[in-house]
Amino acid sequence: MKKRVSLLLLGTVTASLLAACGSSETTNTSGGTSNTTEPVGEAKQKVVAWAWDRAFNGGALDIAKELYAKDHPGFELEIVDMAKVDLEQKLNTNLASGVKGGLPDILLVNDPNIQKYVASYPGTFAEFTNKVDFSKFSPFKVDALTVDNKVYGVPFDIGVTGMFYRSDYIEQAGFKAADLENITWDRFIEIGKVVKEKTGKYMITMNPNDESLTSILLQSAGSWYITPDNKGNFVDNPAMTETLRVYKAIADAGIAKPVTGWSEYVGSFNSGDVATVVSGVWQVTGIMEAKDQSGKWKVAPIPKLNIDGAVNASNEGGSSWFVLEGSANKEAAMDFLATTIGGSSEFYERFLKEKGGVGSYIPAFSSEAYSQTSDFFGGQAIYTDFTKWSKEVPGISLGMYTQEAKDSLKNELPNILNGADLAKSLANIQKLFEQQVQ
Amino acid sequence: MNSKLTRSNLMGWQFVLLPSIIIVLFSFYPMIQSLFLSFQSGRGNVYHYSGMDNYVRLFGDPMFRQAVWNTLLYLVVQVPLMLFLGLIIAYFLNIPKLKFKGFYRTAIFLPCVTSLVSYAVLFKSIFAVDGVLNGMLLSIGLIHEPVVWLMDPVWARVVIVVAITWRWTGYNMIFYLSAMQNIDSSVYEAASIDGASKMRQFFSITVPMLRPIILFTAIISTNGTLQLFDEVVNLTNGGPGNSTMTISQYIYNLSFVYTPNFGYAATVSYAIVVMVAVLAFLQLKVGGEKK
Repeated sequence: MKKRVSLLLLGTVTASLLAACGSSETTNTSGGTSNTTEPVGEAKQKVVAWAWDRAFNGGALDIAKELYAKDHPGFELEIVDMAKVDLEQKLNTNLASGVKGGLPDILLVNDPNIQKYVASYPGTFAEFTNKVDFSKFSPFKVDALTVDNKVYGVPFDIGVTGMFYRSDYIEQAGFKAADLENITWDRFIEIGKVVKEKTGKYMITMNPNDESLTSILLQSAGSWYITPDNKGNFVDNPAMTETLRVYKAIADAGIAKPVTGWSEYVGSFNSGDVATVVSGVWQVTGIMEAKDQSGKWKVAPIPKLNIDGAVNASNEGGSSWFVLEGSANKEAAMDFLATTIGGSSEFYERFLKEKGGVGSYIPAFSSEAYSQTSDFFGGQAIYTDFTKWSKEVPGISLGMYTQEAKDSLKNELPNILNGADLAKSLANIQKLFEQQVQ
Repeated sequence: MNSKLTRSNLMGWQFVLLPSIIIVLFSFYPMIQSLFLSFQSGRGNVYHYSGMDNYVRLFGDPMFRQAVWNTLLYLVVQVPLMLFLGLIIAYFLNIPKLKFKGFYRTAIFLPCVTSLVSYAVLFKSIFAVDGVLNGMLLSIGLIHEPVVWLMDPVWARVVIVVAITWRWTGYNMIFYLSAMQNIDSSVYEAASIDGASKMRQFFSITVPMLRPIILFTAIISTNGTLQLFDEVVNLTNGGPGNSTMTISQYIYNLSFVYTPNFGYAATVSYAIVVMVAVLAFLQLKVGGEKK
């Protein structure tokens, strides 16, 4: 049995090796001939892109391809769809092993991974510094893409945050929409207690295994788990201390419904268990899943931390497009991205209309697509609001070790919630983090 | 005579040659390579030799210590529990008078054919805050507030142990059952005539006769538990805190979640190799045939 399995393995491995050789050869030759015979961009060559979420991210590429094909009739694009985790794993193993054959030309990268990839695989990703006018993008997004003053990619979607809320619950509790505009987190907790008392509904969800809330809080104060030079940012960081104080206060107030995973999280607001959802703009589609709640939702800016420099805006998630330096179709791929996702208002209007995706391309914000009102959100022009807030999001460097820092924090979080001395806990986290990155 | 022997020897060698090459190429070669890798450090594809640095780091690494502690906890609690349960179930299913034997055997073995990920997801929904179990306990009045199973360090571990036990007990049960059917029934008859109770028969005849099988299942279960990954990642993703993270998950994190340091990840994998070897050796010493 075992033998048969290994034979089978050998068979598949040889087959895939052969297949890989074959494909890399063909791309090489086609790239080579077209480069010599025709000018770049108009060549008939096939650009390969890896992305997760075929409908959303892949759909965005489809739009971009349509726009690009108008001026570049020979342009061909193949989108390889795979799960995000698979993509990251495949990329890491490919790059670490030095095998270039199976890699694509274009790649979707989650923003927290940018610095990590650029530093771990130097010379692997193409530089876009002078190919795209980055002044037209929200600064925080460009900051995330910048390593040593070089910009490594084209900014794509953003996760500017808002506080989605059920206006009916808030009204039942005796508050008006204006009571939720530009408040602090302490005020949020006070309101939450009243909501819990009057309506029996939780104010928010909380998942100690997921760092999204702490991340939102930190960025709203222009801070992050690590410093721009990749040191732990836990001790002597007022933003961190305040973030964890607020986090514990929310937990202690009994206004947070505990959830353990994504489906429970989405389920909690789709079934009407919570009054607010603090999340990125992409959550609009998730909230609109519950068709029966149409007209009951609204969006306000997120509450802010009670320290200097904190604002009522933050970001959660988002990704960017990379091009591989060693790819045979590098120039074509870069030109394609730079002229569409990197500089076309039309692309972002269609991306919003067709896919509900929000980018950071400022010229598109004044377009008609972004000023549309939504009946689901009680006639609010939500995208106008989101884009307004996106310009206020503090720019931060996500650094290389975000995940390590988050895990160090996660390790100590149960103690913090149980009332351990915060300063001591933060010192522990800092120490653990330093152990982790050496 | 002599030449015939060599020819058949040659035939034999030809048969083992291909598998041997494959095993060397796909099993031993990577093992040796990763040993070399474990003496290197760096990130991504930027590596340098660091001598014993990774091993020094390993012993001072609190995350690694936590992962080892968690894994050993599963091992110490779950493996004996599962093997004992498997043994008991096998014993009952082996009673000749039992009706619907086929049905019970299939039902108990069935969890083994489910995919690791899908059963973990299933358990996750059972133990969710508004999951089936909380609903049941609330409705019969055993608890008044839903229990947050997967968020409490103790309960999360209990859930994982329950899940693995559910998945693997039937698998071990099958080994015991087939071994029990090989025990001559005359042994039991003789014991009954001598007045030995059923309990006594179980512990003095069945268990000793099954010793090699129990040893075998103990070693493969230990091995499996030390490499535990799918269940934990899908049920709790290591949380709350890192209180359910296993060594395998830590290796995965080091390679694919954190800034990739394959060198240190290889060092941690070698820690598992050493642990498996030591534990298997101990089990052989304790449970093996005494010569």
